[in-house]
Amino acid sequence: MAYDAHHAEGHAHAHWDTSVWPFVISFGILFLAVAFSLHFVYHSSFAAVLSLGLAFPMIIAGVAGWTSEAMGKGEGLSYGAMGWFILAEAMIFISFFVAYWYTKLHVEVWPPAGNVTLPKVLPLVMTFVLVSSSLTIHYAEHLLHLGNKAGFRTWYLLTMVLGATFLGMSIYEWSHLIHAGFTISTNAFSTIFFSVTGLHGSHVVVGLAIFMAGLPSVLRGTDIDEGFMRTAGLYWHFVDIIWFFVVSQIYFW
Amino acid sequence: MHKQHVKGKMCRASAAVCGAVLAASSWAAETAQSAAPKINDPARGWDSLWHEVIVDITIIGILFAVVTAWFVFTSRRTAGNQTGASPKLSAASAVGWTVLPIFIFLSIDLYTAANGWVLWNHYRDVPADRLEVKLESGMYSWDYTYPNGVRTQNELIVPAGKPVMLRMTSRDTLHSHYIPDFRVKEDSMPGRVTYLWFHPTKPGEHLVTCAEYCGVMHSYMAGRVIVKSADEYAAWMKREETQLAAAGAPAAAETGAPVAKPAARPKKT
Amino acid sequence: MNLKEWIFTTDHKRVGILYLIGSLAAFAVAGIMALLMRAELSTIGPTITANPTNYNVWLYTHGAVMILGFQIPALTGFFANFCIPLMIGAKDVAFPRVNALSVWLFYVGVILALATFFIPDPPDIMWTGYPPYSTITTGNTAMYSFTVLILGFASIIGGVNFLTTVAYMRAPGITLNKLNIFVWCTLGAFVLQLIFVPVLGTAVSLISMDKYLGTNFFDPAKGGDVLTYQNLFWFYSHPAVYVIFLPFIGVVFEVISSHARSAVFNYKMVVYGGIGGIVLLAGEVWVHHLYVSGMADWLRIGQMVTTLMISIPVGLMMISLVGTLYKSSIAFTTPMLYALGVVFLFLIGGLTGIPLAVPSLTLAVSDTYYVVGHFHYVMAVAGTFAIFAGIYHWFPKFSGRMYNELWGKIGFWLTFIGSNVVFWTMMDIGVDGMPRRYYDYAHFPQFESAHQLMTAGAVVLGLGFAIAVLNWIIGAMKGPPAGDNPWGSPSLEWTTVSPPPHGNWPSPPSVADDWHPYSYRKG
Ligand code: HEA
Ligand code: HEA
Ligand code: CUA
Ligand SMILES: [Cu+2]
Repeated sequence: MAYDAHHAEGHAHAHWDTSVWPFVISFGILFLAVAFSLHFVYHSSFAAVLSLGLAFPMIIAGVAGWTSEAMGKGEGLSYGAMGWFILAEAMIFISFFVAYWYTKLHVEVWPPAGNVTLPKVLPLVMTFVLVSSSLTIHYAEHLLHLGNKAGFRTWYLLTMVLGATFLGMSIYEWSHLIHAGFTISTNAFSTIFFSVTGLHGSHVVVGLAIFMAGLPSVLRGTDIDEGFMRTAGLYWHFVDIIWFFVVSQIYFW
Repeated sequence: MHKQHVKGKMCRASAAVCGAVLAASSWAAETAQSAAPKINDPARGWDSLWHEVIVDITIIGILFAVVTAWFVFTSRRTAGNQTGASPKLSAASAVGWTVLPIFIFLSIDLYTAANGWVLWNHYRDVPADRLEVKLESGMYSWDYTYPNGVRTQNELIVPAGKPVMLRMTSRDTLHSHYIPDFRVKEDSMPGRVTYLWFHPTKPGEHLVTCAEYCGVMHSYMAGRVIVKSADEYAAWMKREETQLAAAGAPAAAETGAPVAKPAARPKKT
Repeated sequence: MNLKEWIFTTDHKRVGILYLIGSLAAFAVAGIMALLMRAELSTIGPTITANPTNYNVWLYTHGAVMILGFQIPALTGFFANFCIPLMIGAKDVAFPRVNALSVWLFYVGVILALATFFIPDPPDIMWTGYPPYSTITTGNTAMYSFTVLILGFASIIGGVNFLTTVAYMRAPGITLNKLNIFVWCTLGAFVLQLIFVPVLGTAVSLISMDKYLGTNFFDPAKGGDVLTYQNLFWFYSHPAVYVIFLPFIGVVFEVISSHARSAVFNYKMVVYGGIGGIVLLAGEVWVHHLYVSGMADWLRIGQMVTTLMISIPVGLMMISLVGTLYKSSIAFTTPMLYALGVVFLFLIGGLTGIPLAVPSLTLAVSDTYYVVGHFHYVMAVAGTFAIFAGIYHWFPKFSGRMYNELWGKIGFWLTFIGSNVVFWTMMDIGVDGMPRRYYDYAHFPQFESAHQLMTAGAVVLGLGFAIAVLNWIIGAMKGPPAGDNPWGSPSLEWTTVSPPPHGNWPSPPSVADDWHPYSYRKG
């Protein structure tokens, strides 16, 4: 199995693959962390803003550069990888729910003082919207698989619209509650409520961002990466399924 | 500080290998014993179980180490191109080398667990005839409140011969009331009540120290358990009570601890 | 040498070397923290600093950086990156850019962890970060949260990457029963990381949220519960010890079988019984860190049994290690000495965990130096020895050069002796009542001489480690060329040139039917 070492070395030295984007993103994230500390620990908001001014361009440039460098060159492995990633993501939600149950089941009175009644209808409408979006993306993938690119585009865009609608309703509800004096620091339940719905909302945002990354190729209708689309869809289904837990645990139990 | 005697450790340790059956029977025997009304001082049980477990693991460790050393010693490489000559395992012996160790290790584990469980029950079996004191810990002091409202700080004064139980909470960070001489500690925290108990038998003084990191001065958070003879204790308590009455404080009311949910509960409260 | 091709590299070997450099730097800094702590403890009362906060910050940095910045990255970063693709005959990992992202996130995490020395009010909350202290201290808790979050995220994407790599990129003929033990061990560790790191991430986020964003997770006055944190934290941090243990024992398997030229004894027992057993049990034992925290009794007793049962898979792996030595052909090279050191010292460390597993016994020794001694034996000694064994073992492969055997052995014996002096003494005074995390032990004057002995031992131990590190630096620069396969090992990574070129092999290697990474004898 050994082969001519000198030949191989001379040859291989010509191209070690590189990419600057991971480096750029990482240090962008460093400045995010620094900004948090500057603002919340050292109360120096001006420096925090400067730090954010470094962080966001770096992260955005990094993600954009990465996407344009790598899009369409996937080897079809991302679908399986996404499965593992979802396992890790699910554990975050499970941790929050466990923290919630652990706190709730240990006390005699729940919810603690200062609570408001949460709306019951809105969450059901939101559920309906999100479930529909899961169905639409599934159908879109199906059309793509059949080669119907125009149909794929329509259903893909529809999914994005539904996702954005969901997000809008979420923001509406939050602002209502906050106006009613129910904020994240009211009591242990409000803390859980805002952090769990916020965490889920941030996943909706990430899902939409993934769709955005695929959008240019979808609109162009050329080199649509089917593996990428399937992976994005998988993530979206996950975000949908988590919502069922959020609704049932936070709103109705 | 404390040295304890060895009693039949070797045969106990070899009994371990005989497995779960023995473990169960020894457990049954000891629980029967503990049903008697006498006080099972867990500190004494701690010394003997600790010793026993240490002897057990020493034997296991030496066994493994000696075999390893023997193999290392006999397997030195003598020629540059020499390779190992260990026999290939047959399927049956591969399974045997898995299942047999599992059973042996499992029985040692269960035997240890059974003994640990017995001792645990002694810890939970707080004698009904006891002195119960409330403890509120804070950065960086131990504040005790006796049933009659008498309070002390950093000095827990108790009569010899009577079990003492602390019901503990904290007004700020976590602390842990550790009395090395009685082999007990338990954390105290805001929002929950924890407990520990011990059985002082002779007059004397014992160190109390904080074992849970609680802040800058954690290492200086110390106090004493002062065990007095029953008479001296009564006299002391009398003095404190009159002082308390003179100060016009309400007698048994108002203990330091806020209303909080109990954490682990003792078997009988 | 082209610096740009190093910093922006996406090649798994170079990413691995970046991990190695970063984690050794972290080790050096955290080790120096340990020496400062030892200096402080060498006398009762203030010795080198009069401010306990300084000591607490050193201790925080020492614990957090040793675990999160040194051992986990060295094992799941360096070794996994360098060895796994080579061992399975792949040209790289599945997602090379993601790999580069994870190493740079690791650097960012370590920068945040070491920023403690440059920022006002550094974190002083210990590596466990328990509230309420962590939410009321003037120290910078956010720094801790972000360090953990970023390192955790780096670890998760690394895990996703390697699980995918091993699942899809094995060379033809490399079946699951022909994977190196190290590969199996590391996969086990990554599965644990994927499941448990998010829980830790949640836990440490919650303390910063409580402290800075006004939430009430741990505030009993508003319905929160302080114990929630401890449960979440240990739900990760116990499995984390197996995230360290699994790859390090995997390294020891590789080293022992290579230098003893002997097949791993009972391969399937190790993979299915040992690694499988640990992965299954790792998540059901966290309460053994909460035996004195006021947990419900059924949890304490139930997890006493599961904790004790961990000795079964670990014991199976020990049997296999010892069995591998039977009728073998041992060359006492430096890596082999370290690996044999692990076998002996892990026995001490692992077995001293057994009394800790019994709640009624732990009531006395929890949070004392006995525990500190236990985990330094398993982690600081056995873990570091295994890492050192592995670095020495693959040194010819990744640097193309040979280290100095004599200095290697001198370094080994210094650390071996030093560690036993320091960490044995710790267990001894721990049983007698010495609590941990003490800046000053004014009310335990009887332990002063023991503390002085440990300080002296720590200097010897540190010297031994420093010699090893210097040996690598000098060896990498001017050692003699090592050749492609100096140990005579059949494992796949030794079939390519040293150091391996980009792409590892000109074409995917193919293996014979009767090949096995441990087939030392033909036939
Ligand atoms: C690599 C790291 C590592 C490893 C592998 C282990 C392994 C084990 N640990 Fe350890 N532990 C730590 C790192 C580690 N630990 C750390 C860092 C802490 C403290 C954290 C902190 O508070 O800061 C800690 C603390 C800790 C505690 C909490 C103490 C306290 O705070 O009160 C306990 C309690 O049960 C414990 C138990 C065990 C057990 C039972 C094992 C077992 O896995 C050991 C199994 C091995 C053997 C038993 C030896 C080999 C087996 C045989 C020879 C077979 C035959 C043996 C028998 C049948 C008994 N450990
Ligand atoms: C992998 C983990 C690891 C390692 C390797 C170590 C290594 C060491 N540890 Fe640490 N330790 C922990 C993990 C580790 N520790 C943890 C988790 C805690 C608990 C923290 C907490 O309570 O929150 C702890 C706590 C702890 C304490 C308890 C303090 C207290 O409770 O008050 C002490 C006390 O002596 C100590 C000592 C040491 C010593 C002397 C070493 C020595 O082995 C270190 C020797 C190493 C060196 C001295 C560095 C060598 C130098 C170089 C490599 C540089 C070479 C460079 C050039 C030459 C250019 N450690
Ligand atoms: Cu109180 Cu430590
Ligand atoms: Cu543990």
